[in-house]
Amino acid sequence: MSLKMKLIPLAIGGLISTAVLVLVLIFLLRAWWSTPLQVFGFGEPPEQPIAFPHTVHAQLNGINCAFCHRNVIQGDSASILPVEGCLLCHETIQGEVAEPEIAKVIDHFTNNRPIDWKKIHRLPDHVQFAHEPHVRFLTEVQGLSIEGACSTCHGNVKEMVEVEQTRSLKMGDCVDCHRDNQALTENSDITDCTTCHY
Amino acid sequence: MANEHKWGMVIDIDRCTGCQACVAACQAENNIPINEEKDFLSRRAKQWIRIDRVWEGKFPNVKARFIPVLCQHCENAPCEPVCPVYATYHNNQGLNVQVYNRCVGTRYCANNCPYQVRFFNFFDPEWPGTLWNQLNPDVTIRSRGIMEKCTFCVQRIRRGERTVEGQRGERLNDQTLKEGNYMPACVNACPTDTLLFGDLNDTASQVSRRSGDRRHYKLLDRLGTDPNVVYLKKVDPYAEEEEAHA
Repeated sequence: MSLKMKLIPLAIGGLISTAVLVLVLIFLLRAWWSTPLQVFGFGEPPEQPIAFPHTVHAQLNGINCAFCHRNVIQGDSASILPVEGCLLCHETIQGEVAEPEIAKVIDHFTNNRPIDWKKIHRLPDHVQFAHEPHVRFLTEVQGLSIEGACSTCHGNVKEMVEVEQTRSLKMGDCVDCHRDNQALTENSDITDCTTCHY
Repeated sequence: MANEHKWGMVIDIDRCTGCQACVAACQAENNIPINEEKDFLSRRAKQWIRIDRVWEGKFPNVKARFIPVLCQHCENAPCEPVCPVYATYHNNQGLNVQVYNRCVGTRYCANNCPYQVRFFNFFDPEWPGTLWNQLNPDVTIRSRGIMEKCTFCVQRIRRGERTVEGQRGERLNDQTLKEGNYMPACVNACPTDTLLFGDLNDTASQVSRRSGDRRHYKLLDRLGTDPNVVYLKKVDPYAEEEEAHA
């Protein structure tokens, strides 16, 4: 065997390892700067205890975001209705289509067990975020509807069967918007560190 | 349009009884771990506000003097220029800000602070048992390796701003955010109104009126740090009399 023949497997090995390295690098950089790529279960939204299609609730039935996420217009966290809230509708709507899922809700209610919803949108550490001032700004100053205000950061949730995080929600993402809208607020410097970090 | 606030505090030593309510309130508000005896002995106790006790006179005519000491939020802060990562800086509302996620823990700032009001987290903070459930969600829990200090309860100022905007439904400006919309935990807890907090730029505010009192002085004024915390001197009607006797 000539020397050239011996080098071929080495070259192929080198190419493959380079390709793998590049792919890993792309994965890491994308996860660092934006949302992680959805491969091998990474970056995919967590599985919820009950399949809750926003397509049916928000789009088909046109329920306002703030009906279930009540606290969003008055407090820091968006909040989800307690199980009793689900029963407002699902006491009568027992459903032909999604009977097993609705049965789970009723089961939770009758057994006095709260539903353990999984958190989807994750902010980086060391940041304080309140929904209420953001919703207020987007609805009052920008003139958006509640749905429009929510979809600014959360994407078009109405069309998601499984909700996933669409924006990176990292500091660059926040600061871009704060910088653009600085002039519109009579408030203190909203690009100051203490706006979010304290 | 920036808000022209300049947060400041007036501490009337004459009213202070040394009851430590401010210390306890600060500890609870700002998620400060419990200081045990060993923490004090190793000089690693964290107290964003502390009561310095000074004995005056000789036995039997001894008097205890109390001085609440917290971060002075100096205009010429010695801690700021020494930070290599810009983790501590002065914002345009007169606050000396510590940005926890920028801090790399060089401890230069604590070494350069003449008031000893900066505290380093040598360990991750710990609370016994269910006390983890009473932490203030508005305040970051500082992890190991970073510096922390009094923030003038900036989380309460931010909440005040949000409340004013949200409840009154008007845009926030200098006129709408007034005294009483914000109050640090220590001021809130003080039973004798020793501590007063407010906007030094607002001429009508209590702090700007009181800070011009003829008893006013600043801690270590000769260093030229220009603190935003003003102290009012103790009034001792018996001092002269006793001096005459001695």
